[in-house]
Amino acid sequence: MNNIDCKPLVGTEEGWIDRRIFWEQAIYEQELEQIFAKAWQFVAHDSMLPNANDFYTTYMGEDGVIVARQKDGSVKVFLNSCTHRGNKICFADDGNTRTFNCNYHGWAFGTDGELKGLSNEHVYNEGDIDKSKWGLQQARVDNYKGLIFATFDDEAPSLEEYLGDFRWYLDIMLDQDEGGTEFIGGGIKNYINANWKFGVENFIGDAYHALWTHDSGFKAMNNNEGFPPADPKGSYHASMNGHGWEFGTDGLADIAILGQPKVLEYYEKMRPKMAERLGEMRSKIFGSLASVSLFPNCSFLPGIQTFRVWLPRGPHKFEMRMWTIVNKNMPDEIKQAINIGCMQTFNPAGVLEMDDGENWEGNTVVNKGVVTRKGKLHYGCGINSRIEHEELPGIIHAGQFNDANQRLFYQRWADMMNAKSWDDIPERYTPRYAGKPTV
Amino acid sequence: MTKKNKAASLELINEVQQFLYREARHHDNEEFREWLDMLTEDIHYWMPYRYQRYRKNEKEPSIYDTAYYNDDMECLVKRIMRTETGTCWSEDPATRSAHVITNIEVELTDNPDEFTVYSLTTVHRNINEDEEHTMIGHRTDLIRRVNGELKLAKRKIILDQNIFKNKSLNVYL
Repeated sequence: MNNIDCKPLVGTEEGWIDRRIFWEQAIYEQELEQIFAKAWQFVAHDSMLPNANDFYTTYMGEDGVIVARQKDGSVKVFLNSCTHRGNKICFADDGNTRTFNCNYHGWAFGTDGELKGLSNEHVYNEGDIDKSKWGLQQARVDNYKGLIFATFDDEAPSLEEYLGDFRWYLDIMLDQDEGGTEFIGGGIKNYINANWKFGVENFIGDAYHALWTHDSGFKAMNNNEGFPPADPKGSYHASMNGHGWEFGTDGLADIAILGQPKVLEYYEKMRPKMAERLGEMRSKIFGSLASVSLFPNCSFLPGIQTFRVWLPRGPHKFEMRMWTIVNKNMPDEIKQAINIGCMQTFNPAGVLEMDDGENWEGNTVVNKGVVTRKGKLHYGCGINSRIEHEELPGIIHAGQFNDANQRLFYQRWADMMNAKSWDDIPERYTPRYAGKPTV
Repeated sequence: MTKKNKAASLELINEVQQFLYREARHHDNEEFREWLDMLTEDIHYWMPYRYQRYRKNEKEPSIYDTAYYNDDMECLVKRIMRTETGTCWSEDPATRSAHVITNIEVELTDNPDEFTVYSLTTVHRNINEDEEHTMIGHRTDLIRRVNGELKLAKRKIILDQNIFKNKSLNVYL
């Protein structure tokens, strides 16, 4: 693998992207090898697995995995495929169990992924099988403030290093309150016939589309009043290691989109506490018009509180999994108000979400045309807007109506697509918080 | 809450059927304001998400979980407002939809003005050049007689899908 040179497909400095990266099967196969088999990926939130033997099934790339809580409170992540003939060993989305029994021959695996027993074991003679060698392949697992991540690459850097200074930003969402966060029960999954990168890049930096695509949804949630005029002042793009956060600093706009006045009141009361914990700047970033993606495929909206992953299903299709994230210490009434507002805006029936999928499918399917596919796409907004900022870590661009985070996401994408090892991936920014806590 | 010992009259069954068909016609024709008039002020329109679970782990959905819809009248009015803004680009050209309502059962309750109504809705949606989606919802309704007229007071819809197979749910079930 690692055979298509992806650098010429991404014009980071000039501001364009080659359309073939959204269409070609060979590029997609290389993504599975070079990105999804290597990068740290979000697999579950701690709150989804409160008890020993709780499990959740998901995917890393197209590899099905089981995320399981252990008796000692740790979490293991392993392949959801029997080591005998390969059948899935778990067909449920989540639950609690002591063993995963393969339906085919009854091989039984523990929630630690080890092979515990075989049905009718007497058909095997001594020496036929050493059970201790036929457990399920384990991923490396780590946790950042409630988010569980996994990678199948033993050579990958630590999660802390992988996130880099982005931890400073993640704390705005995950550590604004001493109790941390939890997911509301349940979640929604749906298919969109689009390339997975269109979802990620939309959340990583595309504030611009909100003004046009979401005019109708915004009016619906805001008494028929449209977005205030786009004002790039006091707003930014921040990018580190391909992760990106675009944001304003009014602390308000995204919370208002929930259409729940009591949630606004709650945050206004809480903001001084948030400022004490995270500093003035970060307390004003939270709740502003903002959107976030973690490289490669996890996104959320601080203030609206939708949290999701974009699971690739071929170059022209992805599965979106979405949840609502809240602070553990919030009163139940506030959690439910956020849940209602979040669902009304961001789920397949949401008044904002409904308009996104249509766009991304259109972006993708047109590339079936061989002439169309040979063209480039423009990513030049804010090409000269890079600044240094005293308080904000990472690569900073001024103005949230910008393509900067998208350009840097694709730069990281190309860096990984052709890297023979992690040492090949260039450090594109100077970390300020390496080895240091961010709260 | 349902009483099975007393059957609904043919007249009532007919009235409920006509009510559901009229509602379906308003949906097909995008007559959403007319549809809102068919709902009580305290409407609860609920379409929970159901995870696929082992039988031993199955749970009833809760209104505190994530759902496609968990709406009161205010929420529903906001949804309709979106389609009236003139900037709802994804609805122009319009979606073609057909709501086929079947398996209607009417049960009396302890309240003479309220009826539990079960039905299946098969929604066929055709959009853009050739995209077709079929969704089947199992509905449990509470229909209430208000000033002589039937109104929908509660609806719970269980969709026959795990991963929702479409990019959007822009039709009501």
